[in-house]
This record gives sequence, C-alpha cells and structure tokens, in this order.
Amino acid sequence: MINIFRHIYYWIDVRLGTHEIINEKRTGYLLPRNVNAWYSLGSVLLVIFALQIITGLLLMLYYVPNVDKAFTSVSFIMNEIPLGRLIRLFHAVGSSMMILVLLLHMLSVLFMGSYKSPRELHWLTGFILFLMAMGISLTGYLLPWNQLSFWATTVATDCVSAIPAVGRYLVELLRGGKLVGSHTLGRFYTLHVGLLPATITILIGIHLFLIQRTGVSTPPFGLEDTTNSWKNGKFIYEEHPGGIPFFPNFFLQDMISISLYMACFMALVFFFPNLFIPSTSYMPANPLVTPAHIKPEWYFLANYQTLKLFPSEIIGIIVQVLAMTFLALLPFIDRSPEKHPLKRPLFTFTAITCILLWIGLTGWGFYS
Amino acid sequence: MKWQPVIPVMLVLCIMVLSETYAAGPVIVCIQCHATLTAKLSQPVELWQTSIHAEHGITCNVCHGGDSTDSAQAMSPAKGFRGVPAPTAVPALCGGCHMGVAGHYTNSAHGRALGRGGPTCVTCHGSHDIKSATLDLIGSRNCSKCHTFEKARLIRSAMLKRDTMLMVIEKKIRMLKSQGIETDQMEKRLFALRNRFHAMFHSLDIKLIIMESDHIQAEIEKTNGVGGKDTGPLAGIIAVGWALLLALLFYLIKRNVD
Repeated sequence: MINIFRHIYYWIDVRLGTHEIINEKRTGYLLPRNVNAWYSLGSVLLVIFALQIITGLLLMLYYVPNVDKAFTSVSFIMNEIPLGRLIRLFHAVGSSMMILVLLLHMLSVLFMGSYKSPRELHWLTGFILFLMAMGISLTGYLLPWNQLSFWATTVATDCVSAIPAVGRYLVELLRGGKLVGSHTLGRFYTLHVGLLPATITILIGIHLFLIQRTGVSTPPFGLEDTTNSWKNGKFIYEEHPGGIPFFPNFFLQDMISISLYMACFMALVFFFPNLFIPSTSYMPANPLVTPAHIKPEWYFLANYQTLKLFPSEIIGIIVQVLAMTFLALLPFIDRSPEKHPLKRPLFTFTAITCILLWIGLTGWGFYS
Repeated sequence: MKWQPVIPVMLVLCIMVLSETYAAGPVIVCIQCHATLTAKLSQPVELWQTSIHAEHGITCNVCHGGDSTDSAQAMSPAKGFRGVPAPTAVPALCGGCHMGVAGHYTNSAHGRALGRGGPTCVTCHGSHDIKSATLDLIGSRNCSKCHTFEKARLIRSAMLKRDTMLMVIEKKIRMLKSQGIETDQMEKRLFALRNRFHAMFHSLDIKLIIMESDHIQAEIEKTNGVGGKDTGPLAGIIAVGWALLLALLFYLIKRNVD
C-alpha cells in the first residue's frame, strides 16, 4: 500500500517537482524561533472559511431565495434532509465563530506589533477582510427570512438613512425598495453567495501573497531587542536563520490549533446551538408583528448600543466611522519601532481600554 | 434617531403598504361599539379579550349571530342575530363546534338535568371569559355550586396523570420548536388527543374514563415519539472527543519532532 503511494508521489514529482516545492517552500520556509500559537489563527481562519463555503454550497442545494419559500426551505433543510440540521448549524454557528477568531487574530497582530512596517498592507487587507466577514454575516442573516432576521435587517438598513442627503436613497438601494421585501432578499442573496465570497477569496489570496513576500514577522516575546528591524529604503525579505521549519513543525502547531478550534466549535454546535440562534429565529418573518426585543448579532451589539448613546444617529455613525478609520490606518499612524506591548504603555493602555469598552457596550446592548 | 423609535415607524409603513391586506382582515363592529358602552355592556368585551375564543379568533357573532362587520346589520335578526341564548339552548349552541363534547354531555347526568337546574357549558367554562379546558376547571369551586366534590374528585384523579403527560408533551413541543425542529405533526396529534381526552370528562362515567385513559396513555406514548429528530448527546460527545484526540495526537507528534 505504502509502495503505491510512493509510486504515485514519484510519478507526480518527476513531472511537477513537488519534492522541491515541499523542500524549499515548506521545510525550507523558516519561521522565527519564538513563534507562538497565536500565529496559527490564520490557518484556523482558512479552515473556517473553507467550512463556510462547503456548508454554504450544500445549503444552496435546497435553499430557495424567495420570501414565500425561504423560511420553509430552511425548515425543510433542518428537518427533512439527512444531516441538514447539522449542516445548517455548522454554517450559522460557523459565521459567528469566524468573526470571533478574526477578532482574536487581529488582537494578536495588534499586541505583537505585527502590523508595523513593512506590513501596513497586510493589516489593511486583513481589516478589509474583517469588514467583508461582517458584511457576509449580515447578508446571510436575512436569508432564513425569520422574524429576527427580517426585523434586524429592517433596523440595520434603516441606520443608513441617517446619512445626510443621500441616506434614504442608499436605504432604497440596499433594500431594492422602501421596505425590506423580496428585492432585499434577492440583493442580499446575491451579495452573500456571489460577490462577497469572491471578494473574500481574492483578498485572502492577496493577504497570503503579502505574507509570503515579506516573510513572517518576529514576535516581540523572549527577545532582548524588541524593536522593528525594518529600515525604509529597499525591499528586504525577513529571514529567520536557524528558525523553525514550517513543515512539519509549525504545520503541526496549526493542526493542534485547528483541532482545538474544532472541539470548541463541535461543542457549540451539538450542545449550545441556540447560543447564537435565539428562538425567534424559528418563527417566519411577519412584517405586521414586531418582536418584543430586536437585537442584532452579538458582534453588532456594541455598534447598536453606541447608536443609542448619542442624541442623534448621525453623530453615532460618524463616531463609529472615525473609530474604524483610525483602526484601519493604525500602521500609518503608529510609526514607533517598538513592538513589545509592555514597552509601549500608551498603546497597551488604550487598546485594553477600547477592548473593555467594546465588551461593556456589547453587554449593555445585550441586556438593554 | 435611535433604533427603538424606528420600529413603530417601520411598522406603520408596513401597515400602510400592506393596507389592502390589513383592511381585508375582520373588523369587529360589536367590539368597537360595546367597548364604549356602560360597564354592564362593555364588560363582555373585556372578558372575551381574555378568553381562549379571542386567542383563536372566535368572535361575538359565532355565538350571538348577526353581522360583525356591519354596524347597521350587527344586531339584525335577518342576519341571524340571536342575542343572549336561553340557558337550555347553550349546550346545542356550543355543541355546534364542540361536537365530541356535546355527545358526551347530552348522555351524562349533567345533560339529563338540562332545564332542571343542571349545569350548561357556561357554568364551568364561563360565558365570555371562556376558559381553556384544563383540569383546573374540575375543582370544588365549580362542582360545589351544585353538589359535593367527591365523585368529581375521583374523575379528576383518574385524569390527572394523563393530563400531566399531555402538558409535558406540550412543553416538549415548545422546546423543540425553539430549536427549529418541525413540530406540526406532533402539534396536530396532541391537539386531537387532548380534545378527545377532555371531551371524555363530560360523560361523567368514571369506568369509561379509566378505560379510555389507558388507550390515551398508549396514544400519548406514540405522540411523544413523533418529531424531534434529536441526535442526542452521543454524536456531540464523539465529535468533540474526536477533535480533542486529534489535538492530543498532533501535540505528541510535534513534541517528538521538536
């Protein structure tokens, strides 16, 4: 049996030079000696995205993007299709987990200073990916056409109307009419299964290409000199002589992180599926009956609460846009060479305060 | 503008757009008029609003006749308005819809005493605040109006176990529904079973009730098994355990490689 695989391997190798690829690009691809488990979150995210694509494609086999049939088709998937319930829960819980792991990935990059020169574009593409992930989750949220998704989308799209002059036109453009209806479902479906996944795939490709070109950043932990060694002037690939080979060493770390993620994910899917899917998600959308508590998904709760804090919705939106723009442009604003979080107290203090504020607003939004 | 004020505005907009559908819905002129009248005449409206009939959209004209959509014809005898039914006419009136119950009642001691001080449907279920048929109605408060509670207590005890089982199934259906599990078939079976069970009480025949309760028990067990394709915790334990095992395996290999 092993001989057969060996023959197949050599057959491919003499034609494509796969051994050379594995040797040079993987075994010869060295990572910093002090690389840590946080660096494997990118691989976890790739697995999550792949799972979302696979489960999404399977759901598309039976889902009907029509206001009269969307809810019943989802109900049919969950109750009649073998493993349909599991596939739907994988997709729905997976979307929340994707945002959660993305946030953790971004936080690790922030605290380890990996966004600093020459990796501004890595951060920027990652940040756009984060926005795209939020967008794909928001558009997917409407598709089951249940009470919660209908009303949450009604309220979420209505926020756009606060933009002076063009607000109400933008709302109509988003909804395909004055109200959330069949045209909104059509638009959100197209965005969710077509435009956004394609954009995300391209952006992931660019993100990985950038990492490949610059090399992996060195974490600031366990080193004496924790400053950024990059000098402006010419392109330098960050090499790590005597470092850890990606294959098999860090590949195994990736596999450990992916397996641990899968354990947590499976536990949520099998034992706490309703943590992310409240019971109002199982009631068909009714434009004439407003549910008592309309709340967006957990990752929008902080935005939702921020809007409520300001006397005018437009001020709330401006504040959030400014905060997001600041975060997106952080590598261009924070030019200090220091990477260790304890050696840049202002950054660490501000970052922790912002995280606590975000958690506080999320909790407040949830219980308000 | 915050989120919350948007909701009623959007609701009004929805209603405006869907006004044709909205206008086609039942407008009950009886309620519009009676709600503004003196206490005696407006009280039935308040009571009805708390009833199981209101919950299921059974409006005034179903029992009182008349045209509930037209103020001019609402109390017209030509439109079948019968006003307050005579006490002896009540069982037949209610039996028009609750046919199973009517049969049992007519042949019971209660039915045979109709017109001679015997109870009618409204004696226990109320006339406007019509209560759902539960075992709570069989108690000394209702039964002691006419006789001692002793015989009724025996019937109630015989029904209690099965009724509790029905309530447990109902709770289970609610729970399954909140998890997105299709419960239509289960709900229909429960509805039919409960109706059959509660209708049987009206026979007041304790032997029949005990015998039928055994049949009901078997039906309940069948109903309990319908719907709810729950994978149970085993699949979850296997999936989580398998992932943890893989993590351990990769960790051991990594330690060996490092």
